[in-house]
Amino acid sequence: MDPQLTSLIVPPEEVAHIDECLARLVDDTGGNYALLLDKSGQVIASNGDGNRQDTTALGALIAGSFASSQQIAKLLREKDFRMLLQQGVRENLFIALIEDQWILTIIFNKGTHIGLVKVLTKKATEELASVLERVRKQRQTRDEVLGSNFRTSMEDTIDLLFRD
Amino acid sequence: MAIINVGVREIHCKIVYYGPGMCGKTSNLQYIHSQVPREAKGDLLSIATETERTLFFDFLPLDLGKVRGFSTRFHLYTVPGQVLYERTRVAVLNGADGVVFVADSQRDKLQEDIKSLQELARNITRQNKKFSEFPIVLQYNKRDIPNALPVPVMDKYLNPLHWQRYDAVATTGVGVFDTLKAISKLVISKL
Ligand SMILES: Nc1nc2c(ncn2[C@@H]2O[C@H](COP(=O)(O)OP(=O)(O)O)[C@@H](O)[C@H]2O)c(=O)[nH]1
Ligand SMILES: [Mg+2]
Repeated sequence: MDPQLTSLIVPPEEVAHIDECLARLVDDTGGNYALLLDKSGQVIASNGDGNRQDTTALGALIAGSFASSQQIAKLLREKDFRMLLQQGVRENLFIALIEDQWILTIIFNKGTHIGLVKVLTKKATEELASVLERVRKQRQTRDEVLGSNFRTSMEDTIDLLFRD
Repeated sequence: MAIINVGVREIHCKIVYYGPGMCGKTSNLQYIHSQVPREAKGDLLSIATETERTLFFDFLPLDLGKVRGFSTRFHLYTVPGQVLYERTRVAVLNGADGVVFVADSQRDKLQEDIKSLQELARNITRQNKKFSEFPIVLQYNKRDIPNALPVPVMDKYLNPLHWQRYDAVATTGVGVFDTLKAISKLVISKL
């Protein structure tokens, strides 16, 4: 099968590493919220003030705007935009790419210096890049993780839920 | 690429509705949103122009609840169909696990359908994926229109790869869930 179509299986110990890394980033920058997304827009992990309403929609929008900034880069014959800063009145958003697969986002307010965010985010992306490398290399199969009956159960759920 | 997060026991899949402008992609998502039970759906997010044309994308998260201990989420997206927005379509297509290609059955839209499908093939290939193996379901929409092209003719031009294919009237919901079920199962089979 086309290896591009197989899933990215993130094992518990790597999820723990990711959580730790995000927590440290929030702590050390005094930021409000950190988010690790897949480039498809799906949220892998988040850390920080818990009452962010719609993390799912936030993930879709950030991944979308990052992907569109990469298309802008192509049009400008810029090799790539690896980082993106969005400045708001109250909060800022700093976005960095990890190995063309994951997107790290940190949300911080005026109290935090952007220079500090850049430096610490760079450190975090390097750490997360090695997590990603391990995740890509791990050899557990879907059946080992989900069980061999998963597909039939899933199909039943789909039939039950997706109807008018 | 689908993500199986074993730590928090979640599975995420991304499905994109692709096709020429005005073929009915947004209508598909609107119908799905109107029918799926409240606890299984998030808000339908649309980034549109004032005239309701899709500018960036529509986004509908569906939550299938726990299956064998894993929370499963499908994220549905549409792309803007206008020819000018190819770069935006590339951005939305990023990381998709499956595509519904919505074709407009109106006689004078066949050329646009073909062009859009060729563009999709190009963009999937650019993501280093094999187009012939990529999970795709076809939907022939607007079957209610009097001048709709006969299905065999559409098959001839749009379905040489023999994908699963459904007739639909997205505005009233005909075929919408058949299409969604087919692509969901196809994506799950490739996890
Ligand atoms: N007659 C008919 N009209 C449809 C159908 N599906 C969509 N439309 C109409 O076609 C137009 C474009 O639909 P929309 O969903 O916005 O297309 P999109 O550009 O692909 O997102 C709207 O006016 C819809 O009401 C259909 O199956 N039959
Ligand atoms: Mg639309």
